[in-house]
Amino acid sequence: MGEEVKPTPMEMDLLKELGNIGAGNATAALSSMLYDRKLDMVVPEVAFMSLPESIDLIGGPEAPVAGIYIEVSGDVRGHMAFLLPIDCAQGLVEQLLGHEFVEFDEMSCSVLEEVGNVVITSYLNALSSMTDLMIKPSVPGLAIDMAGAIWASILVGAELTDDYITVIKSAFSSEGRQIAGHIMLVPGEGGFHKFFNILLGTGSR
Amino acid sequence: MAEKFVNMSELKVAKGEEVLVTVGLGSCVGVAIYDKGRGVGGLAHVFLSESKNETDVKQPGKFADTAIPALISAVTALGGRRSVLEAKIAGGANLFPKLANSTLNVGKQNVAAVKKHLAKHGIVLKGMAVEGNKGRKMTFYPKNGMVLVQSIGEKPEEI
Repeated sequence: MGEEVKPTPMEMDLLKELGNIGAGNATAALSSMLYDRKLDMVVPEVAFMSLPESIDLIGGPEAPVAGIYIEVSGDVRGHMAFLLPIDCAQGLVEQLLGHEFVEFDEMSCSVLEEVGNVVITSYLNALSSMTDLMIKPSVPGLAIDMAGAIWASILVGAELTDDYITVIKSAFSSEGRQIAGHIMLVPGEGGFHKFFNILLGTGSR
Repeated sequence: MAEKFVNMSELKVAKGEEVLVTVGLGSCVGVAIYDKGRGVGGLAHVFLSESKNETDVKQPGKFADTAIPALISAVTALGGRRSVLEAKIAGGANLFPKLANSTLNVGKQNVAAVKKHLAKHGIVLKGMAVEGNKGRKMTFYPKNGMVLVQSIGEKPEEI
């Protein structure tokens, strides 16, 4: 396995822009699912960091979250996760089902999978139309668990086992913090190089 | 009582009243090795089964094949007796059971590798809480070898 190479400052800026565009589309989609509720996007972060450090990006290893995972294939490979604090997940289920939350039963889990699906595919659609790359999402997988357990399972399942990874993190929240979430994108084999080649016109490194 | 946190891929030792804690074990496996008579032990948060061709392993706790010998030497260096060392393990879950493509089921492989390397080094496995579909938190008390394992929304269970 090749060691991940730290992106140049220009590449970092580009990734931030990808995060911006993807998450912009994703939050717009989520907002329309929630009857046009206003969602504020936080400026995306692009980080080149060690695997354990990346867990702190999502609020620490022990935080209970709902995590939706989608594998990306096609012209580029990658892994996307939509992680939201457990109380926000419950709030979303309540709003979308229109009754009080009881437990993470089959119905609420399928609602969350669908929300994750919409959020992540909207993000990917934006990247795809920006670059003309074919980007294919897998079916979503859902886990309600400790953030660290979910994140580490995704990384290792994705064979992202180098000591360092590049992550694009986007976040949003609404007034009163009732809805907040993280959208994470990590590249698979080949890294973000295809994006760099197309958008920066640079040769492969 | 001082708690030391063991992050992913790390390995730490403790003695006496100190407690070692690792959280967010999904497919990862927490491995505790201790000499309960002397009250010393170590805990590793293993991320993968084999270091394979990674020649320069910076964090031996990352892989099962490197973590176990490293734990043994760290615990004996702290006064543990090699011949009486025991182990308890937790983790190796599959958090996404519905995703049929089981690249995500690394948990099972991790558990198998940890067991294999414990056996290879002659360490008795005294307790475990492994596999299943839930993440785990592991709290290890080197003073008596007690290990508590907890999943979200559940009570801690002693193994």
